[in-house]
Amino acid sequence: MAIAVFVVAAAMAIIGGVGVVTFHQPIRSVLSLVVVMLALSVLFLLLSAQFVFAVQIIVYAGAVMVLFLFVITLLGPARELGPGRLRFQTWLSILFVLVLLGLMYALFQGIEYRHPDQTDLSFFGTVQSIAIGLFTTYLYPFELTSILLLVAAIGAMYLSRKRIDDI
Amino acid sequence: MSTLNIGGSELDASWFLLLSAVLFVLGAIGVLVRRNPLVILISIELMLNAANLALVTFSRQLQNIEGQLFALMSMTVAAAEAVVGLAILVDIFRVRDVEDVDDLSELKG
Repeated sequence: MAIAVFVVAAAMAIIGGVGVVTFHQPIRSVLSLVVVMLALSVLFLLLSAQFVFAVQIIVYAGAVMVLFLFVITLLGPARELGPGRLRFQTWLSILFVLVLLGLMYALFQGIEYRHPDQTDLSFFGTVQSIAIGLFTTYLYPFELTSILLLVAAIGAMYLSRKRIDDI
Repeated sequence: MSTLNIGGSELDASWFLLLSAVLFVLGAIGVLVRRNPLVILISIELMLNAANLALVTFSRQLQNIEGQLFALMSMTVAAAEAVVGLAILVDIFRVRDVEDVDDLSELKG
């Protein structure tokens, strides 16, 4: 059963990923990315990461993608592009990236996994276990992310302000 | 090879890692080949998602919660990156239409 779920979700993720790269209209790329994120959230659930699953749907597929859609509708539809000046760049980059995929595949072949720390899977990945990690051992990095978000929010407001000489 | 027992059936951790590698590579192709700056940002999001999948897979394989915590942190970073990147794009588009990132190469010195 889990294998069928994995195969369907993986196929959806790969189809969505190909769609992100191949669609000409940016809005279709964004919607393909939403498909990828929903498929990945199913995989997170398979890997017993319930909290990451919920955050993936609410924050990523919900908030971040809606932000992308807002900006795309704000900027208007993109025009079709003709062939670029550096046409060989496409084939060269695809070649390099396929070599990268081959390297990663070769890496997985010789991999030796460490034996798992013996913990209870019924507790693993729940909100409680995430909170214990986030508010005890990793409290300092967790607080630093709030500063990161504050800086990003201030930066976005600064960049999108109305300039005095525009008026 | 390491099998994960999920709901009574045996799945291999390397399947998840291979899927993560394929998605990462698709995102890399998008960044290198596409010329619309918006699509490049979307492809970067795809690569970050692929990395998240690898983190959660290793977290499950080692039954160690730290991988999931790292995935949550990387989601935060991805959100911040998307916000700032889109704000920069909107600011550029206000001045002129950009359909190719190579049009913005005047600053390269």
